[in-house]
Amino acid sequence: MAVCTGCSLLCDDIELECDDGKISLTKNLCRKGEGRYRSLREDRLVPAVDGVKVSFDEAISKAAEMLGDAENPLLFGWSNSTLEAQRIGIDLAKKLGATIDDTSSFCQGYLMEKVLRGEYPTCTLDEVRNFADVLIYWGSDPSSSQPRHMSRFSYFPRGEKRQRGYEEDRTAIAIDVRKSPTVVITADGFFRIPPGGDAEFIEALLAALGGKMPKVKDKKMKKKILKLGSTLRKAEFGVIFPGLGLIYSLKDEIDKLTPLITRLNEVASYKLIPMVGHYNMRGFNQTLLEETGHINRVSFKDGVEHGPQFAVTEAVNDCDALMVIGSDLISALPAAISRKVARIPTVAIDPHRNLTTDMARVTIPSALSGLEAGGSALRMDGVKIEFEPVIESGYRSDAEILSRIMEAV
Amino acid sequence: MAKVEVTIVTYRDIFQEEAKEIGRYSDEYRDLSALILLDRGDMKLIETEDGQTVQVDTDWGTVVVTAKLSEEDEEHPGLAFMPNSPWSNQLVSGDTGTSKIPEFKRIRAKVSATDKEVDTISDLVERIRAD
Ligand code: SF4
Repeated sequence: MAVCTGCSLLCDDIELECDDGKISLTKNLCRKGEGRYRSLREDRLVPAVDGVKVSFDEAISKAAEMLGDAENPLLFGWSNSTLEAQRIGIDLAKKLGATIDDTSSFCQGYLMEKVLRGEYPTCTLDEVRNFADVLIYWGSDPSSSQPRHMSRFSYFPRGEKRQRGYEEDRTAIAIDVRKSPTVVITADGFFRIPPGGDAEFIEALLAALGGKMPKVKDKKMKKKILKLGSTLRKAEFGVIFPGLGLIYSLKDEIDKLTPLITRLNEVASYKLIPMVGHYNMRGFNQTLLEETGHINRVSFKDGVEHGPQFAVTEAVNDCDALMVIGSDLISALPAAISRKVARIPTVAIDPHRNLTTDMARVTIPSALSGLEAGGSALRMDGVKIEFEPVIESGYRSDAEILSRIMEAV
Repeated sequence: MAKVEVTIVTYRDIFQEEAKEIGRYSDEYRDLSALILLDRGDMKLIETEDGQTVQVDTDWGTVVVTAKLSEEDEEHPGLAFMPNSPWSNQLVSGDTGTSKIPEFKRIRAKVSATDKEVDTISDLVERIRAD
């Protein structure tokens, strides 16, 4: 059995057969996971300095030299690295007096922080499968981003107290601006809101839960929200799965969600699991929190400092060397910011060629975790999943690459 | 040339996610990324049809992508959808406000019909490198 690192569900039931050192058959992968497995043979990165192929050792020395000589290095990525690599990465940042940030900085960070600090109640996906009866997919679309979420855990499976599965035992609600593939599954439970309409929807729901008329113009919607209020009150075990739709709508006003979580837990019992994308974002956030008291956006230049100025979108303005690991930062950021990134001397560590590696001065190829390298990671609900390599390759793990850079600095 | 003002919301699509895993440089990834889903009425306004190319402009950038007719049940004039990708990211503001999170899901843009070809990933890379 293998573990897929295609998303933060870290599916650990992947069956595979190998023939002559190559994977010849897989079972249980979703389309996205299948893509990750197929990528073993596509666009693999080579060690290079300034576009010229070099040995692995030369690439490591050049990377160490660039980072070691920098006044303000920035180390970014981390959510596609194992816990072991993340720990070494944090030590490297300390040694270099660097700024360190991860993809949660412009993704699930605000919400993940609430969960990790215990401010929002949470649970495991196994508890969801066994007990959850009301599921709220809010600005999230697991059918596209965590494709086996609904079949392994949240909606379709039978569980200890949910023997009749989705047909009778579970109610699914989707709050979204578009008819996503998840919305299609939840059918009647769909609430269409305008872009940025999440705060208003929270207000309307609070009113409905308090037995008041929600302040919504559309009469049909008003009725529907009132009915939703009574459905939510009846939940035995409700779970909210917030996605980027909700986060990007509220951003640093995420506290607007707090009164709703509180109210829901006065009338029933509700948990929240952020719908993380990358396979080990939560691992990085938790590890950095334990080390520094902050989940991301940290500088080690002068002890431990934290703040918005250390968010990757800001820190790129005055860093003089950048290391990106397991992330295609140039693709992920607005072009207006990517242009700045393109000018920074960069070390890129990745299994594959991408826009960021193409613009980097130094590239270091790495193994694909779960396939070519072992380690451990935290699933989106915090459960630790360990994995072994399933095929042999000459690629080094992130942890090994970072240890080598650390030694060479 | 007629233009229509829209708010673009980006989203993720499983077919595109799969193509991304395999490689950013594949034609498949471009075909599944360089898209804008428009309301039927908005398409009419700019005299374009499903499968034709359109130019999308914001204060921050321009891209040429393929227009597709949105499959939403309800009409949604002024609202358009794009898969999250380097194409949509050409259009996103560089201002990140106090949250330091870019406005990926509420992009104010103007869309117009064009004879130009869909931008390739290399076109985008050149533009990022040029400045
Ligand atoms: S749901 Fe995620 S972890 Fe599971 S097989 Fe698909 S991509 Fe892999």
